[in-house]
Amino acid sequence: MLIHRTEQERRAGVAAWVARGLEQGAKIVYVETAEQSSDRPLMEVLQDQSVPAEDAVASGQLEVLTPEEVACESRLEELVGRALAGGYPCFRVGGEVATAQTVMSRDDHVELERVVERLCHDWPMGALCQYTEAEVRTVLPTATALHRDGIRHPQLQTMRRPDGIALAGEVDLCDHLVLCSALIAATSSAAASAAGSVVVDLSRLEFLDVSGGRALLRGTAEYRRNGGQVRLRSPQPAVDRLLDLLAMDREPGFTVEEASA
Amino acid sequence: MTAQVEAITPGRYSHDVLLHDNDAQLVAGMKPFVELGLASGGQVLVHSTEARVTMLREVLGTHPRLTYGLDCELYHAPSSTLFAYQRVFEDSPEPLEMWATGTVPLGDTETEHAAWGRYESAVNEVLRPYAFHGLCSYDTQALPPHVIAAAKASHPHVTAGTERWMSHEYAEPAAFLVDPLAAVPGAPVGEPDVAVEVSCVAELPGVRRLLSRFALPDGVSRQAAEGLVAATHEALANALQHGGLPVRVELWAGPARLTCRVTDHGRGVPDLLAGYRHPRRGGSTGLWAARQLCENVFIGDLPGGGASVLLSTA
Repeated sequence: MLIHRTEQERRAGVAAWVARGLEQGAKIVYVETAEQSSDRPLMEVLQDQSVPAEDAVASGQLEVLTPEEVACESRLEELVGRALAGGYPCFRVGGEVATAQTVMSRDDHVELERVVERLCHDWPMGALCQYTEAEVRTVLPTATALHRDGIRHPQLQTMRRPDGIALAGEVDLCDHLVLCSALIAATSSAAASAAGSVVVDLSRLEFLDVSGGRALLRGTAEYRRNGGQVRLRSPQPAVDRLLDLLAMDREPGFTVEEASA
Repeated sequence: MTAQVEAITPGRYSHDVLLHDNDAQLVAGMKPFVELGLASGGQVLVHSTEARVTMLREVLGTHPRLTYGLDCELYHAPSSTLFAYQRVFEDSPEPLEMWATGTVPLGDTETEHAAWGRYESAVNEVLRPYAFHGLCSYDTQALPPHVIAAAKASHPHVTAGTERWMSHEYAEPAAFLVDPLAAVPGAPVGEPDVAVEVSCVAELPGVRRLLSRFALPDGVSRQAAEGLVAATHEALANALQHGGLPVRVELWAGPARLTCRVTDHGRGVPDLLAGYRHPRRGGSTGLWAARQLCENVFIGDLPGGGASVLLSTA
């Protein structure tokens, strides 16, 4: 998931994602509308960000397709299957959410995301969905709920657990909305309501800033308003220091606890 | 000069300096303050060195609402002491009235004197919203003149026990901090070890990693170094959101000190006192956090517009 406020941020994020995929030897399919191809084509972005991709295009490792070409489920699955059978160790697909929705209905796009998510679950595959910050508040909760197992952001991974959610990486001003959204998803589930409490495992969270603290509050606000308890578990020392500074354990519905028994 | 006698008003902020030459004068100054505090129904704290506390306890006696504290326990470092007081007021479930009197430790070196001097001035910003009464005693025999001068500039009122008057040398915190008495340090001399320009939030993690690589001089604790990087991150995030792009980040490593500077050239005049008030009372949470993650944070304005935030472990 890549949430960007500016075009520059988007370009940096996409280029980094393609670069990592090329390093891994992955088959990369990038989805672009005709409008994007004329306005901000991937190849130009890669050149601009100094990611050498000509060879990958020539060999077929990197392919740019239109939404129509991947729109139907079997087509995408076919692409994935062929790539893996052809010797690629893994598959990556990426694109911009908003522009995809200019050529397909919102429902169709949601369906496509569902397909992608299922394929990611079943195959060695990763997806990069790009959202502008403006879209995030309306679209992100749905998208996060769709990413059943969790979200992989360049800087933050969230993993659903039976009793809640685990975080790994860093949360700061560039990905705090991802955390907020992941917490909304984790606390909206039927399991969370039934249990009355949700564990947020912080043992692999290396950094949290003030905006991350705010995301912890906002992402769980409704759950706590309805009586839910949020247990922040095993924060690392630097994160613990910030939670203490923000007096998080004095906020209604929060407890901070050390490693579980 | 006629001394205008003004009584301390219970329920409202006050911050007085008590200048004394000897213990008798110290007691003469503290006793009425403590009695007034107890009579008002507030909590009273008397803090000092162990020897002085023993002496004061004999003279002032005991009371359920009177606590004696030791400076070595309560007054570790200026910023942490300041925000600890703030937290006591903010966390109190009911409105709290606190009367605190004692000797501000001041430390042994010029650097420490200056830091505690700035603390005294910052009290006027940080604790102004609360029913806090401070009476800070300064020994004119033991302390150099510039420390006494700074004390007069950082306390709105001067007292000698029965008499109390407005300090003619008092300067509001924003004015005090730019006065030479405050001895606010500048950036280290010499080229920085790190200098980068940042334009978008996506670059924040990379900047943190870069700073952390250099944040290892001898004589700086790991916690202080981590706190400095985290505080610099908050100042940078704040500048990216509110300042002018690009934002410049510099780091100087050592000896025994780590310094960062975050500069932007935005329009508008920066608030030198940003981050002192509790976020609940308005203002920047990021800078408020930065001032607690790092002991020494100074906001300055730049000729031509913009702000510079200097952060230092010592």
